Amino acid sequence: MKSKLWKIVAAWVVITMLASSAACVTPAEPTKTPAPTQAPTTAPAATKAPQPTAVEPTKAAPTKKIVTFAWTQEPDSLNPWYTNMWFSTTLHQLFLAWAWEFDDKNVPFPRLVTEIPSLENGGVSPDGLTITMHLRDDIVWSDGKPITSADFVFTYDMVMAEANSVTSKYPYDYLESIEAPDERTVVMHFSKPFAAWKSLFWRGILPRHVLEPVFQAKGSLQEAEWNMAPTVGCGPYNFAEWESGSYIRFVKNPNYWGPAPKIDEIYFKIVPDDASQTAALIAGDADVGAFIPLSDVPTLKEKGVIIMVESSGYAEGLFFNFRDMANPGARDLNVRRAIAMAIDREAINRDLLLGLSHAPETLWDPLAVYGYVSPDIVPWKYDPAAAKDLLEKAGWIDRDGDGIRENARGEKLTLVYGTTIREIRQDTQAVIQQQLKQVGIELKLVSQEADIFFGSFSDGAACAVGSVDIMQWSDAPYFPDPDKDYWLCDQIPNADNPWGWNYFGCDPRLDELFKKQLTLMDEKERAKVIQEISKYMHDQVYWYGLWDDPDYWAVNARLTGVKFSGVTPLYNVAEWDVK
Amino acid sequence: MTRYIVRRLLQAIPLLFIISVVLFILMRSSGDPVATLGGRRNPRPEDRQRLTRLLGLDQPLYVQYIYWLIGNDWTMIDVDGDGVVETPGQQKGVLRGEFGTSLVVRGKPAMEVILERIPYTLLLMIVSEVVIIFFSLVIGVFSALRQYSLLDHLITGLSFLGYSMPIFFVALVSMYLFAVEFKSWGLPYLPTGGVFEPQEGNTPLQVALHLVLPVMSIAVVSIAGYSRFVRATMLEVLGEDYIRTARAKGLRKRTIIFLHALKNASLPLVTIVGLDIPMLLGGAVVTERIFAWPGTGRLFLDHVSRGDTPVVMGILMLIAVAVIIFQLITDITYAWLDPRIRYT
Repeated sequence: MKSKLWKIVAAWVVITMLASSAACVTPAEPTKTPAPTQAPTTAPAATKAPQPTAVEPTKAAPTKKIVTFAWTQEPDSLNPWYTNMWFSTTLHQLFLAWAWEFDDKNVPFPRLVTEIPSLENGGVSPDGLTITMHLRDDIVWSDGKPITSADFVFTYDMVMAEANSVTSKYPYDYLESIEAPDERTVVMHFSKPFAAWKSLFWRGILPRHVLEPVFQAKGSLQEAEWNMAPTVGCGPYNFAEWESGSYIRFVKNPNYWGPAPKIDEIYFKIVPDDASQTAALIAGDADVGAFIPLSDVPTLKEKGVIIMVESSGYAEGLFFNFRDMANPGARDLNVRRAIAMAIDREAINRDLLLGLSHAPETLWDPLAVYGYVSPDIVPWKYDPAAAKDLLEKAGWIDRDGDGIRENARGEKLTLVYGTTIREIRQDTQAVIQQQLKQVGIELKLVSQEADIFFGSFSDGAACAVGSVDIMQWSDAPYFPDPDKDYWLCDQIPNADNPWGWNYFGCDPRLDELFKKQLTLMDEKERAKVIQEISKYMHDQVYWYGLWDDPDYWAVNARLTGVKFSGVTPLYNVAEWDVK
Repeated sequence: MTRYIVRRLLQAIPLLFIISVVLFILMRSSGDPVATLGGRRNPRPEDRQRLTRLLGLDQPLYVQYIYWLIGNDWTMIDVDGDGVVETPGQQKGVLRGEFGTSLVVRGKPAMEVILERIPYTLLLMIVSEVVIIFFSLVIGVFSALRQYSLLDHLITGLSFLGYSMPIFFVALVSMYLFAVEFKSWGLPYLPTGGVFEPQEGNTPLQVALHLVLPVMSIAVVSIAGYSRFVRATMLEVLGEDYIRTARAKGLRKRTIIFLHALKNASLPLVTIVGLDIPMLLGGAVVTERIFAWPGTGRLFLDHVSRGDTPVVMGILMLIAVAVIIFQLITDITYAWLDPRIRYT
């Protein structure tokens, strides 16, 4: 009997010890990010990533100034061309300076270049087909190697190489050619003017001396260690380590060519849950948080956490499908105008968004400072009586007394209203459904995961095949550039173009105006065309704004010098300090 | 016994095949991996078309499954998009031990992505399991020995309370209480999440402190359930003839309870725990998310939402294999512990 008891105990001890030993020993090895072997080591301090493990803890000296971010999504790659995530690209300003960045007013300022090319300084040719950039003399990679025009040309070559299968070739596929006449000059040639260049080009460059050998050896950069461990960079901080699912750590770059950063180490701690992020900010376990839920803003303020709001061009709104397959109501301008008057946006902003936002009239309202919004726009006012009148006059009458209007052909004013599964969107759907019911419009609600909602035509995705009449999401132009190219007629999804992203319809006038503005290099001339677009789209109710969607940052009061930009949020991170 | 083990293992092959087919079809039908690429702004149509082709997502579903299973290095694929296959494939396939490369962490082998997280998940889950078993036994035995006493009623009430509380609620309330409020009240407090605090470094003490709240959240609900189970089986065993005989022989109470009663009462627990062990690999999705614990549960959630078939299939197949192996081990252990059971 006794021996059997021992068998039970022995079995448990063995299982537990085996499993525990796996848990306690193995974390150290697979989780550390090895320093890339191809990285040169002329400046060891800059290139060699410390690799702390569970066995050799990284005990930080108490005097070190450390700032911790609560990052709700883990980046997928630190290589700018293998990511589409905001949580990845926002890190660039620490370790991979852009050619020019944007300040807290979203105004560009030069980083790697001596000045931003313009028509006035001759950097942009009068015909808009050539843009010349002059690089600063003092810029070096974190391993001490100079940054030259060859790095820019190499970056272009890597983006365009099919074998690299980068996330996006845009806007480099607009370039006809690129050349480097000398070490400090880069010349871009276009076949036609491309007005959006300032917002889209040179969002990071690749270190040629590190990555060219990898490309030559493997035929692709896809598996380059640098993508996940960019130990050679050109920002105020160096990448130090990335522990999957846990944190990414950056340390001061001793070879930084700009003003020396004041914070010693910066951690991006991955905290995927919104409520946990808020708890970490209140408890002081995190100093900075992004994408703060609006419902938590009052609590955070009450606890002394500073809330900073920065526009990044996004606005939440309704997109109408006026393609042939849509309900006749969605294709009828009078119905769209009636909907614009029947929705109480003020109530939505007040009740669902705690009065912290307001309704924009156009997609360009967050860019109003640049003069992109027509001054002639008359905002839509909540007026259900006027909405009813308009529907009656347009022939949409409730003929069978069921509370839903029909047209003369007996087609009911029942619209399908789809969005993604984000909670605030589903709440908004319910509110708008009730509001439109008051004027005799029935809404059938659909909400899906974003990957399904925005699927392709061949997948039968709702937006692509047009099975929804009204769509809702938050979007922005190529901020701070005003271009938004998914309104073009050749972008309508169909069997030949299954990935087309004009889910709305073809309006030849809009198509012409959008194409025209992209070729205008004179900013004032271009702004006039954007104004025309904004007024036309507003009056046609192709897009109907619900609320502006700026970035909400939460900052611990112990930090000083903190500013954010909507384009390059951490542009002044080198100036941050702790009290 | 050897024949039994071999037969069970052979039966597992078609079972795993069917599981993999079903999971693959479900996974690939749950959204377009290049629809958003995790961004705020959707990728351009030209890029989506190119990536769909380069990642092999334009192939028919059965071709994608075959490539996942046996690789594509025996055939040619179209890389430049001219409709002509010209480049030899690179994938080796699951049957040759390669789960493909992640679609999210581009170019990184799926198994590498998973293995980075498994130690953390095992650490969290094993500690939780040990805590659950220990407290379930203690509370269950205690409650059974004092049946219908005030304390038994109290434990029963608390058990139902614990069992009916969702994990996310326990997790968030305990975080706000022990991490946020305790700190503001000037009491000793626990961290809100993660594995260690940057200022303190990655020390065993730090990891232990960060384990307390997630382990507690997982354990509360399970202890409530398991302790009821132990109480019921203990009561059943305590009424058996051999216990009465043992008492009549004058054995010490402690010997009767722990050697005779508990041993037999805990036998059914072996089955439950045996089924729990493979699930340890899957981690605790809700708890890992709330406490920012870098385990496989969170990895699964993050990668399912991005349609990362190689990583998700890797996690699911690991769990499927573990379930089959541990069920077999449980059956064998059961036979070993209870001589009345024989497998032929």
